[in-house]
Amino acid sequence: MGAFFSNLPQYLVNGIGSSCVYILMAMGFSLVYSSTGIINFAQGEFAAISALVAYTLSMDLGLPLLLAVAGALALTGFVGLLLERAVIRPLQGKGTLTAIIATIGASIFLKAGARIIWPEEAYKVPEFTQGQLNLPKASFNAQLLWMLGLTAFTVAAMYLLMNGTKLGKGLRACAINPEAARLVGIDVSLMSMAAFAIAALLGGLAGLVSAPFANYGMGLYLGIKGFTAAVIGGLGDVYGAVLGGITVGLLEEVVAGFLSVVLGVSSGYKDAVAVILLISVLLFRPQGLVGKGLVEKV
Amino acid sequence: MLILRNISAFYGNIEALRAVDLHVQEGCITTVLGSNGAGKTTMLRAISGLIPTRYGEILYYGRNIAGEPPHRIVRMGISHVPEGRQVFYQLSVRENLELGAYVRSWRKKAEIEKDLDFVYRLFPILGERERQLAGTLSGGEQQMLAIGRALMSRPRLLLLDEPSMGLAPMVIRDIFACLKRLHQEGLTILLVEQDVQIALSISDYAYVLRTGKVVLEGPAEELLKGERIKKIYLGEEF
Ligand SMILES: Nc1ncnc2c1ncn2[C@@H]1O[C@H](COP(=O)(O)OP(=O)(O)OP(=O)(O)O)[C@@H](O)[C@H]1O
Ligand SMILES: [Mg+2]
Repeated sequence: MGAFFSNLPQYLVNGIGSSCVYILMAMGFSLVYSSTGIINFAQGEFAAISALVAYTLSMDLGLPLLLAVAGALALTGFVGLLLERAVIRPLQGKGTLTAIIATIGASIFLKAGARIIWPEEAYKVPEFTQGQLNLPKASFNAQLLWMLGLTAFTVAAMYLLMNGTKLGKGLRACAINPEAARLVGIDVSLMSMAAFAIAALLGGLAGLVSAPFANYGMGLYLGIKGFTAAVIGGLGDVYGAVLGGITVGLLEEVVAGFLSVVLGVSSGYKDAVAVILLISVLLFRPQGLVGKGLVEKV
Repeated sequence: MLILRNISAFYGNIEALRAVDLHVQEGCITTVLGSNGAGKTTMLRAISGLIPTRYGEILYYGRNIAGEPPHRIVRMGISHVPEGRQVFYQLSVRENLELGAYVRSWRKKAEIEKDLDFVYRLFPILGERERQLAGTLSGGEQQMLAIGRALMSRPRLLLLDEPSMGLAPMVIRDIFACLKRLHQEGLTILLVEQDVQIALSISDYAYVLRTGKVVLEGPAEELLKGERIKKIYLGEEF
């Protein structure tokens, strides 16, 4: 038990890093869900694609890191657009469930495609900054500062987008009442496209900062954890995503630490934490800790 | 201004509108009466592009707008106050009204501000409740908000779906007085109602719809005087 407590600061520091990734993922899930009613199960694939493209651009083609990152994000955003136009749009009017199942199909397709292009088990995506920093009771990679900075910046940008721009107001209106949104002249189909593209960028950023390793399968667990965070946050606004991301990120590391240090169980069970959390939230508080989430309002 | 020619609309195999012909004269209040399930809402939804039509034409200033998406229809100057108000519950009164101006350039703040004032003068209670969430308004206030929101797009033609539904007689009178005022200021109105008396009292021309078909039409005063409408409306005929 003593060892657990002396390691706690380290768990928390690690947890902050994963929190950032999950916050970004959760914002993507929430944005698409709240403006279209669709849970996009291909959200994780955005992260994988962007990280792998960044690898190819920087390592194989030797582009400077900044360009590689920009290219990866641009391409991922494009994949998001394409997903909406090619898969979601044609299913318009066929019901939300159909669209959700189609995103599962898209996820499998993208994963398989990624596996053909990037067949190895792990690609080393360059970190933005090398090196390690030490605190009295914990140490972390310099990358963590990038994660924190970029996540904070993105959260602020999303907040401004949703509350201060016409696009954001349109997206929020679609989330609240799609029919009324159409009646005031909002192009709901355009909003759906925007939501998927922005969600793809958010997922892409999550993939990039969760370096250093990437592979075709990484979207699965990032997706599950990001989705859990989004559900905890009520699948609504930016606050919810932040709250959910932090909850999953911290809890996961602390529980994994507890399991391995105190009970001697493999920390491989870490990934189960999010799943158990997800099931518990869906069972006991499906509306999320805040907001209305998956439960339809009457 | 608006002409429906031989319009049919379906829900699956159910024909909710059967070859409807209807004229809306510019500067007039035209009313469509009919009991539950007559197809009134369907007709307005077809005009504003929320549902597709299968046959016929919807001519707006001579141009067929059938099949255009709602966001284009709003930009053409047709604004729809839907059945059941459909205000944005989680947004404030002011945010609702601002969304009503969505199709206009938000850079013209002064103009939009002026129209907000216009709505607040028309419905002073909305001004008092500016920061309140729409979901916490009373039914009558929500109806006023829905009308105000529709006005914010600066329509030439206002479609109204049963604005009297579920409201107290006094509130209904207030709302209809406002509609009359809007009409006097030049707005053309297509009104759908079940409250025959009050609707005909402000209308110029009226249609009676029954199971998707127009069964009676004429100038409002004539219908108001005639006995036939009562019979048809109460279902004693056919
Ligand atoms: N979404 C729908 N799916 C299937 N049938 C529908 C749908 N909406 C309406 N209908 C049917 O179409 C017909 C016309 O409905 P509509 O809502 O236009 O009537 P209404 O005149 O507006 O009635 P009310 O006064 O009750 O509002 C009804 O028989 C109704 O059952
Ligand atoms: Mg109706």
